[in-house]
Amino acid sequence: MKRFSRKISLVLFLALVVFPLTFTIVSAQEDITICFGFQDLETEFWVAGHRAITDTLREQGVEVLEYNANEDPNRQLEQIRECIAQGVDGIIIIPQDGDSAVTIINEAQAADIPIAVFNRPPNDLSRGITVVADNVSATEQAVEFIAQKALRQYEITGEPITPLILVGALQDTNAIGRRDGFYNVINRYNERYPGLFNTPIEVATEWDAATALANLEAAITANPNVDFIFTSSDFLFPTIRSVLEPRGMWQPMGTPGHVLLAGLDGDATACMLIDEGYVDGTGVQNLFLEAQLTLDRILQAVAAGETQPNEVLLDPGFALTAGNIHFQRSDMWGCVLYDEGFLNQ
Amino acid sequence: MSILDDRLSSAHALSQRQATKPRSGPPIRRAIQDFLLSDYFVLYLTLFFFITAAIFFPSLRNPGNIANQLQNMWPLLAVAIGQTFVLILGGIDLSVGATMGITSVVGAIVMAQTLDPSFFDRSPLWGTLMRPEGGVLAGSEWAVPVGVVVMLVTGTLIGFLNGYAITRFNLAPFMVTLVTSTFFAAFALWLTQSRNISGLPEAFLNLGKGDILSIYLGPKLTSDIARRDILSFITYPFVISVGLAFISQFLLSRTVFGRQMFSIGTNRRASEISGVPGKSVITRVYMFSGFCAAVASIMYSGRIGFGQPSLGGGNLLLDVIGAAVIGGTSLFGGKGSVRGTFFGVAFFVLLSNILNAMQLSPFVIDAVKGVIILLAALIDITRTRLINREQRV
Repeated sequence: MKRFSRKISLVLFLALVVFPLTFTIVSAQEDITICFGFQDLETEFWVAGHRAITDTLREQGVEVLEYNANEDPNRQLEQIRECIAQGVDGIIIIPQDGDSAVTIINEAQAADIPIAVFNRPPNDLSRGITVVADNVSATEQAVEFIAQKALRQYEITGEPITPLILVGALQDTNAIGRRDGFYNVINRYNERYPGLFNTPIEVATEWDAATALANLEAAITANPNVDFIFTSSDFLFPTIRSVLEPRGMWQPMGTPGHVLLAGLDGDATACMLIDEGYVDGTGVQNLFLEAQLTLDRILQAVAAGETQPNEVLLDPGFALTAGNIHFQRSDMWGCVLYDEGFLNQ
Repeated sequence: MSILDDRLSSAHALSQRQATKPRSGPPIRRAIQDFLLSDYFVLYLTLFFFITAAIFFPSLRNPGNIANQLQNMWPLLAVAIGQTFVLILGGIDLSVGATMGITSVVGAIVMAQTLDPSFFDRSPLWGTLMRPEGGVLAGSEWAVPVGVVVMLVTGTLIGFLNGYAITRFNLAPFMVTLVTSTFFAAFALWLTQSRNISGLPEAFLNLGKGDILSIYLGPKLTSDIARRDILSFITYPFVISVGLAFISQFLLSRTVFGRQMFSIGTNRRASEISGVPGKSVITRVYMFSGFCAAVASIMYSGRIGFGQPSLGGGNLLLDVIGAAVIGGTSLFGGKGSVRGTFFGVAFFVLLSNILNAMQLSPFVIDAVKGVIILLAALIDITRTRLINREQRV
């Protein structure tokens, strides 16, 4: 009993006294406090985005309250309410989906706190600051590049090309934009060159690598003649590799059996795979630009006392391909991270 | 039944006598024992935790923050009450999250006032139960009451499926509820093609966030009071959850059904030999758990503003089981109370609030929560051991 009481006392002491004291001492007292609510950082894009936002804010002397909602919109709503109760000056969120973003923006604006949404836009763009990549345009640029390669292949072999798309979670407007961009190019080429593409195969991923793996395995088993794969996010390239490699379909460009591959995001893995010749191209979101736009606008709103700024700031994006990687490498955030040794950390 | 009732009452009275028996030993030891064995142990801990943390983090005692944390408690309390009942039986319900997801979806399908064809035209229900004009009862004054009833019935039916499978086929509860969880989570995604269903009636949204009584603390210096200065005090979720808690506590402590649950949780075989209808009680408890999950789903869906197929995913199950266990409900069955779960939920919500206020890395917070649940389970084992030792003395 005595031993047990001592243990409990020690744990309570640590939990109640030491931790709070430590954190109170080390926490700086800055003038501006920004609440940053995000979801699990499961991909390189979100890791890099989180780092870009928090590091830049702290470098500017801004106190940052970080909240991870673990992909739960209700939890994120609770966290943002907590931020509001603490009287933060501004809020930046990466929402789980476009619907919950609307609810959270309304909550913040009702409390007269400026809010910015980073990269995952709300369904209603009329409220809040939204910084977002033009997913349709970036996807079209990447898919266009490999569609041209597919056309050349078709002209040589006369065999129609079977495309496959890994679709993201469709409650996310980014996923919808990327699917739309993919179909825009496929439909355009099919109108111009009838018979070039077979009906695309859609593979649902829900932005989850395990779901993507299971569904892609099934799709490739049923359709082993897939010639062209577009993934709605670069973080799925390792998943694609694990499905294609055992089937002898993971080949570099210029090798027989090479499956045309493109993605979107522009992460470090995509950069490496373009370097190695396995991936043909990727649509790049200019992450650093998006982070800077978000921070500049929210801090400007805080400084000006704007409580309900409403604006959409667009990142046009671009395609990084095996053709232009040598002179556009430094523009792609994933290549910057890759060259810094990000994948070796 | 009356003989059985007498036996159960005698057992209950005996345990009450044991619990209130004066303890032996030096005064400090007795005080520590009283503290550890008290029904209010978690409440004391919560208050101690709050007061200590509030010294270091003044934002915690901000009235707005306290009002917020209370609002966060109500939906979690509803689903944790159902889980408490199941744990008392010695079972576990891993399907509460998926039940919340599917009930959220079916309710929205009934109530939605408009549906975007570009989102839902691939849904298997498109053109029948889901149309561009909205859900089944779009625009009808009956949409909300019927939608709510459909949600409650769906949750209860899923609970029935769980209970039936567990009792009829003698399957392990964790296996059955894991299967139903996987099935209904996937089913909800399939029905909606993983889209949220927005455009729900205002009356339904009020069930998740509507104020009945709001308060303003402070001087009235201007004619307008900012919305953020008005604090929610009595809300619809408060009324729903507290009402559910009172009914549940009554069921647990004042009815034969409640005593039968404790009896099965302590020793199912002995209970059934004594005449307790084990299968029926277990099935009804799982139905109640499904019902509670549906109640929570109503509050969560109303608060977030849409029917969400992935509602109840993520770490919610950790919060639900954690709150019940911290509240003194035994994972081995036969012990627990709604009052304890209420304290457990309060502790859990406060814990999240404090961890956030401490600005711990968000990645560390869930790990810390896990450790706290483990500690709670260890404390529970120690308390049980102490009680047993007391009873032997």
